[in-house]
Amino acid sequence: MPSSRTIGSTALAVVLATAVAGLAAGQTPARSAPTAADWAALAKLPDFTGVWEVGFGAAGGRGAGGGRGSRAGGPPAGPQLTPAYAEKRRARLANPPEDSQAANCLPPGMPGIMGQPYPMEFLLTPGLVTIVIEAYTQVRHIYTDGRPLPEDPDPKFHGTSIGRWEGDTLVVETVGFSPQTDIAANTPHSEKMKIVERFRLADADTMTIETTVTDPEALAAPWVSNRTLRRHRAWTIAEYICEENNRNSVDANGKAGINIKK
Amino acid sequence: MKICRFGDLVICRSGLVIAALAMAGTTLLAHHSFAAFDMTKEQTITGVVSRFDWTNPHTFIWVDVTSEKGVTESWAIEGMSPNYLGRRGWSKNSVKPGDKITVSIRPLKEGKTGGMFIRAQIGDRVLMPTGTPTDER
Repeated sequence: MPSSRTIGSTALAVVLATAVAGLAAGQTPARSAPTAADWAALAKLPDFTGVWEVGFGAAGGRGAGGGRGSRAGGPPAGPQLTPAYAEKRRARLANPPEDSQAANCLPPGMPGIMGQPYPMEFLLTPGLVTIVIEAYTQVRHIYTDGRPLPEDPDPKFHGTSIGRWEGDTLVVETVGFSPQTDIAANTPHSEKMKIVERFRLADADTMTIETTVTDPEALAAPWVSNRTLRRHRAWTIAEYICEENNRNSVDANGKAGINIKK
Repeated sequence: MKICRFGDLVICRSGLVIAALAMAGTTLLAHHSFAAFDMTKEQTITGVVSRFDWTNPHTFIWVDVTSEKGVTESWAIEGMSPNYLGRRGWSKNSVKPGDKITVSIRPLKEGKTGGMFIRAQIGDRVLMPTGTPTDER
């Protein structure tokens, strides 16, 4: 039986290790309290507030799961893959699952979550743009307080995002994506994927998002896609609990199912 | 002939020409694929509604269908979500237990008693799954 002193030392070590780990993560630098001037500054920015829905016009591309949306000039080009990732895609398509994990209510993550047939709401507060996404009840946090991108981010479905204003355009850089997300359907990414989004108002109630995906391991060239969103001033974001009554599924072998037991 | 505008009137009077329907296609079903359904077939069933699930991620209309031999089976008709349909004129009261309903579906494979909603008629009301969203919600 260890002495109480040993236990005490162990406990102290655990506390210290936890504290160091917390510091090492270093992804939430202290933010100063917003001032009245910070709030007033928001009024000078383009008005992104409110609820927006991605357009699904006839030109809506489907070359990529994440690339849906309105786009002028014909179908959008899909991502150009490096030979190694083209091979990975071929391997997946050789025995493709009948459905994605979304059938089991797993959200798609970035970039696919930005192309869902459900609206999203933009909230601007000092140092932060928040996107509330109705589909799967998701949220993205885009830090506009000047912090840098993390050097060694944890992998996340939505990555880690920072943003800055270039004139009237919100430029968002995102890194650090979970391997469970795809660039596009059946198209995996590497740890080096980076997504840059440029949000701007095309007119009073129209927003465009230009999305550029780079990945030196997976993509032979940057993949650029465009979406157009329409603002619905009267809409509110509705509840979307995917597990409420999900009767669809896909099993480990990729077989799609549906439960019609009443 | 008048074409129903589903944005402001999802529920149209019968006898009108219905155009551009059943676009619950590649762009609309984000949550799952069509693998469970036979997308090459359209089947029409008639019965009595036993339940309407106004739930995410999909609505379900449960219909008791009685054959000529007097055998009743329950059919499960999957539709778009309440969030999607609710912005296009539907409500939780669009379909009620006891309603006599005729539904066109993409049937489930393997002969299961269910399918994906294309359109339905209850009395003189026609229910459609798509259309331009309204601004009033």
